[in-house]
Amino acid sequence: MPKEVAIIGVGYAGFRALTPEVSYKELMYEAAVKAYEDAGVDPRRDIESFVTVAEDFTEGTSIFDEYVPDQLGAVLKPVHTISGEGLHGFIAAYLQVLTGAMDIVAVEAHSKASNILTPDEIMAFAMDPVYNRPLRANPHFIAGLEMNRYLCETGTTREQCALVVAKNKHNALYNPLAAYGASIAVEDVLESEMVSYPLSRLDMSPRADGAIVMVLAARERAEELSDIPIWIRGVGWCNDSFSLENRDWTNAIYAARAAEMAYRMAGIRTPWQELDFAEIDDTFSYKELQHMEALRLCRPGEAGLLVEDGATEIGGEFPVNPSGGSLGMGHLLDASGLARLLEVVLQLRGEAGQHQLSDVETGLAFGWRGLPTTSGAAVILSN
Amino acid sequence: MALLEKVDKNIEARAWQGEIPIQSRYTCGLAGEKFFREIMENGRFAGTHCAECEYTYVPPTIYCERCFAKLDEWVEVGPEGTVQSFTVLLVAPDGTPLEEPDILALIQLDGADSVLVHRLGKVGLDELAIGMRVKAVFKPKKEREGSILDIVHFVPVNA
Repeated sequence: MPKEVAIIGVGYAGFRALTPEVSYKELMYEAAVKAYEDAGVDPRRDIESFVTVAEDFTEGTSIFDEYVPDQLGAVLKPVHTISGEGLHGFIAAYLQVLTGAMDIVAVEAHSKASNILTPDEIMAFAMDPVYNRPLRANPHFIAGLEMNRYLCETGTTREQCALVVAKNKHNALYNPLAAYGASIAVEDVLESEMVSYPLSRLDMSPRADGAIVMVLAARERAEELSDIPIWIRGVGWCNDSFSLENRDWTNAIYAARAAEMAYRMAGIRTPWQELDFAEIDDTFSYKELQHMEALRLCRPGEAGLLVEDGATEIGGEFPVNPSGGSLGMGHLLDASGLARLLEVVLQLRGEAGQHQLSDVETGLAFGWRGLPTTSGAAVILSN
Repeated sequence: MALLEKVDKNIEARAWQGEIPIQSRYTCGLAGEKFFREIMENGRFAGTHCAECEYTYVPPTIYCERCFAKLDEWVEVGPEGTVQSFTVLLVAPDGTPLEEPDILALIQLDGADSVLVHRLGKVGLDELAIGMRVKAVFKPKKEREGSILDIVHFVPVNA
């Protein structure tokens, strides 16, 4: 894939458990100002189009897309909001530039999770109202069912899942953006309160507030504006059947298909060898392992062994979630995938600080839209 | 630009609390009508079959999501089935701890390719296993009202 579209600016704000000192609009504004400064663009003059990602129920507002232009500098400009994962919005922005319709486009996603007083009820409201919701079960049972099936099918153990938690929270200690860095042992995870067997409290990523804005530009403008454009080499997205009755409970097929599309575009045949690292969804500990296998970073059933061997640590053969992932940084709702992508950008720019990887050229970000969805998106970047 | 000042005293971090009152009716559709009527009247499970894909949908749909064909071949499935996964849920819908664990499972009814999501009952936690055989227990006929809750739960076949 030729170098056609690049990320020329990134901005972020929050990434903490609580942000009572600002409104969600101010959080977005802060991220936007930083991204535009980083890109060297004036939103009122230079940015031609804006894409944001949000979900009405998590915002607590109907038709939330109407609430986004002002704090992004997007008033009286083309702007639309996608309900999906942050990476779906990113891909929409990328395609606008790729078509030649726009030269410079901004994408935004955020989480003001601390404003949500009934998060599990909102998640439950996403289940089928006729067949599933009458059971009145906390929707984390879906993760419990899937984790149990995954462990049974692949021979992966709860201990291996706990190692993912320990690794990611440890990585987060070196990431100043991460809200949930900690030095914990496998036993801490295994002994934490059971939520929906075999899923324990520490197997789940805690929520965080934050906003992320990225500025994308067509090749000529990117080279003119940026010393370190980060090129978009491949994108892919896919949804499995959403119904709990018909989805694939064993394989994260949405991840496999999304990645295949991105790999094809990027000309990647053996991801483990051709990619240098990956930032992938770890909303729940087992999801990092299940997603690694679906993304062909290893064979089915091998991810747990790789974690045991330390292969996915920062100093390992193939680092996975050097940022700390959602387990270490906090889950940013629909902005989580953009947080994964942000880390890929910072690593490829050599700006990751204490947890900088050496000699990285190509990285993968993968986002999952969270419970109860079967929706994922993948983006491959290189410097 | 950017923020020169922020609220820097916790007690000055003001917020307004609101709620969204939402009420809806969700129609069950053509396939759902037949599915729930079979349960209500006969205590049986009805599914639709796609001959092209060799796949049986339970709950039924009037189209095949694999090949997009219209489905009108109805088949009876269950009432016994196999547990494809289970979980022991310990939190209530609002996130608070449950007093009694709630056992939920994916049950593949005999003859179906999809799974039903429902509760398991009359089973000890140490008896739970993927692959275990279970059967549906329906509410007494006069108490059924055309809902997924007309199924009380699934219990082990040998219970």
